[in-house]
Amino acid sequence: MQAIHTEVVVIGAGPGGYAAAFYAADLGKKVILIEQDKRLGGVCLNRGCIPSKALLHATKLIAEAKESGFRGIHFENPRLDLDEMRAWKDSIIEKLSQGVKGLAQRRKVDVISGRGFFEDAGKLRVETEQGQQFITFDNAIIAVGSKPAMPKAFDLGNPRVMTSTEALEIQDIPESLLVVGGGYIGMELGTVYATLGSKVVVVEALDSILAGADADLARPVIKYAEKNFREVRVKTKVLKMSTTGKQIKVVSETDGKQKEELYDRVLVSVGRAPNCADFGIENAKIERDEKGFIKVNLQQQTNVPNIYAIGDVVGGLMLAHKASKEARVAVGTILGENVAFENVIIPAVVFTDPEVAWAGLTEAEARVKDIQVSVAKFPWSASGRALSFDRTDGLTKIIADPQTERVLGVGIVGAGAGELIAEAVLAIEMGASVSDLAKTVHPHPTLSETLMEAAEVFYGHSTHTFTRKKEPSPSE
Amino acid sequence: MDVRLPKLGEGADTGTVVGLFVKEGDLLKKGQTMLELENEKAVAAIPSPAEGKITRLNIKVGDKISVGQVILAVEGGAAAPAAPAPQKAAPAKAPVTTGPLAQPATAPAPVPQPAENAPRAETAADKAGFPPAASPTLRAVARDLGINLHQIQGSAPGGRIVLADLRGYIQRLQEAASVQREPSQKPVGRPEQTDFSKWGPIAKRPMSPLRQTISRRMVENWTTIPHVTQFDEADITGLMELRKKFAAAYEGAGTKLTLTPFSLKAAVIALKKHPIFNSSIDEVAHELITKEYYHLGLAVDTEAGLMVPVIRDVDRKSLADLSKEVNSLAEKARERKLSLEEMRGGTFTISNQGGIGGAHFTPIVNKPEVAILGLGRAQLKVVVRNKQIEQRLMMPVCISYDHRVIDGGVAARFCQDLLSAFEGFKEEDVKI
Repeated sequence: MQAIHTEVVVIGAGPGGYAAAFYAADLGKKVILIEQDKRLGGVCLNRGCIPSKALLHATKLIAEAKESGFRGIHFENPRLDLDEMRAWKDSIIEKLSQGVKGLAQRRKVDVISGRGFFEDAGKLRVETEQGQQFITFDNAIIAVGSKPAMPKAFDLGNPRVMTSTEALEIQDIPESLLVVGGGYIGMELGTVYATLGSKVVVVEALDSILAGADADLARPVIKYAEKNFREVRVKTKVLKMSTTGKQIKVVSETDGKQKEELYDRVLVSVGRAPNCADFGIENAKIERDEKGFIKVNLQQQTNVPNIYAIGDVVGGLMLAHKASKEARVAVGTILGENVAFENVIIPAVVFTDPEVAWAGLTEAEARVKDIQVSVAKFPWSASGRALSFDRTDGLTKIIADPQTERVLGVGIVGAGAGELIAEAVLAIEMGASVSDLAKTVHPHPTLSETLMEAAEVFYGHSTHTFTRKKEPSPSE
Repeated sequence: MDVRLPKLGEGADTGTVVGLFVKEGDLLKKGQTMLELENEKAVAAIPSPAEGKITRLNIKVGDKISVGQVILAVEGGAAAPAAPAPQKAAPAKAPVTTGPLAQPATAPAPVPQPAENAPRAETAADKAGFPPAASPTLRAVARDLGINLHQIQGSAPGGRIVLADLRGYIQRLQEAASVQREPSQKPVGRPEQTDFSKWGPIAKRPMSPLRQTISRRMVENWTTIPHVTQFDEADITGLMELRKKFAAAYEGAGTKLTLTPFSLKAAVIALKKHPIFNSSIDEVAHELITKEYYHLGLAVDTEAGLMVPVIRDVDRKSLADLSKEVNSLAEKARERKLSLEEMRGGTFTISNQGGIGGAHFTPIVNKPEVAILGLGRAQLKVVVRNKQIEQRLMMPVCISYDHRVIDGGVAARFCQDLLSAFEGFKEEDVKI
């Protein structure tokens, strides 16, 4: 069969891949986008960010209805129809996926449905339903993403042991659910199932959940989990799992003590592994690191100069917005621009209840690297807006350079923290000083004021909280 | 595909867009003039290296652009090799039109760093691996120019670096570079501004980059070259008779025979006898370089200012060929269509004011050449020839030369040989 030639071929249509394809097309390149899934959008859209947020949104009402009794609003117990819920969630995915498809068409990006396989560093074979299609290319961008890691010891071949992919399908509401791994995926899905009525136990090998977030930001989430989950067990390792009738027997160890328990379902959320198998990267002689991620330079170039890699498959923070930024760098480099993925602030958001978001330097990181910083905190108990909807379990804090007063990091926990962090990212990217934030008028009554007030705390003159110290206190 | 500014020639990699002849949607042909770029040498027409429909135009009149920069994008055309994108580690292209001074801003040690750029104390931000405080856009610009923002002290609150800081830094780098390169050129105090409107109405207009360049070069040439100007008069009675006689023949060959080709030929005859007039000083190596080719510059008066197209290998061309070339280059100069290459490599220059009506004047040597010939308007004069009083057509001749390398005696002899050359044209020299 005749090979078709293109200037840029992108393998994988997730938020990294389609962003790369669209940007290259917008800048005048002939682009082919290859996706093996029937639906475009990758993990983020089909099996990650979007469906999890849809479910968190849907189930939030259950929790809120329960809590509104003391405000004089009483609800009967809700009746749940999981098929309807799933159909609604799928409709959102379908809508977004069609949207991506439409955007590709309008840009004349040629979408080929099938599995891409490198024949060599200049040629791809795509296995489509219509047969093989060969593609020769000037430049290729690998954006094949990642999949949930499933350690062999837990892989019983039993559907009751789930990864996030299956958990998002909500086959049923298990009486008891064990979540292995207290990272953001485990905590978010644990929240969904707990709200639906499951007794959720989270086990985490480290000494705290939400690794990466500062302890004071994780605290309200732990508090919520203590109240709504059956248990959060840290410093705990799962040693063994086995099928016992309609349940899973789990042996775990905490502080040297072993425990044996039965669960209706288990969610394994211990990380994600790159999708590096079965697309011929060895034929193109592309190098990978010891963990299996594709090695790239600051221009997202692999060791093969005309082949780039972006997103989860190169490791680092496995976040959609990181992949999209890397897409811009890879395409920019292809176009001969002098760009690099360097000094980029990648915000992190965890959609637990309450949400946690942070950007830039964290307090923990400053401590580890022995960096002297000043930290200013504004508790949401002093925010009128937070009080007005009974969510004072929040905190906004600024981590700043004590000499120059430059904003180095911001951490927020509280309802809607994910939306609030964007302003902080801009401030850090712009090299803004704490004073810039303090001097910027924020609308009242909104939660965005908490960032301004935290900046005022830095100078000891926040309106709605009292700080005795005039001098900002350096963190210990 | 993107179209980048093609390479213009040695030492000329930046310039200001003074004319733009294409717009989005236009069908661009290969070789078609896209824009006019003015830099210190001249205004050069830039032909397109590609063809196709213009989908995007990245530049406008007044922009300072540099080689390798994407100036527009075309689609649907045959792919043509564009100038290579600037290498990652390539020297920075400072967006200022001072060719030889446009040294990489990242130039190592020899460039004295302005005092205020002393390395800053390490801050928490440095320790955390943060870049200097500056917007993402500014950081991208600095990256593209190869400038290390750590060298710049920001002026915004908290030491944030803004565009003005970057601009100031580049300017200081260039001043530092130019001071180092030309130690003799120390600024003599601060130029003063005078408010002339106190005494009557005035009009102001900016000095164009070309005019500023002419000004700078004239000062440089005048202040660094010890000039002597030798005056004389050439008898061109015979020459003009020959010209009259062959005018028709030349017209038939499609060109107009003027005095200029004769003066080119006469100059070459004298230059061959006195090679020192066809030389240059290498001020770095302290060597005298004599050129064995004769590329003569012709000063052309244009609306934009003085331009000097160069006619190559004058010694090997016939009067007819020279005639055609002079006319076409002068035309190109007036239409501002000269390429940079057409203005390079001259060994000697002729400035002919005869057409306008000058007498004797003192032309300024065009560095790195060492001499220049000025011609005035010929007039009928009463002279004594062979003890007879005759009417002859006499043309004012002025030779300015660099007294560092040319002594008065040599100049006098050169002048005599030049006059003989003007007077010695024969029929066979002119015939076509």
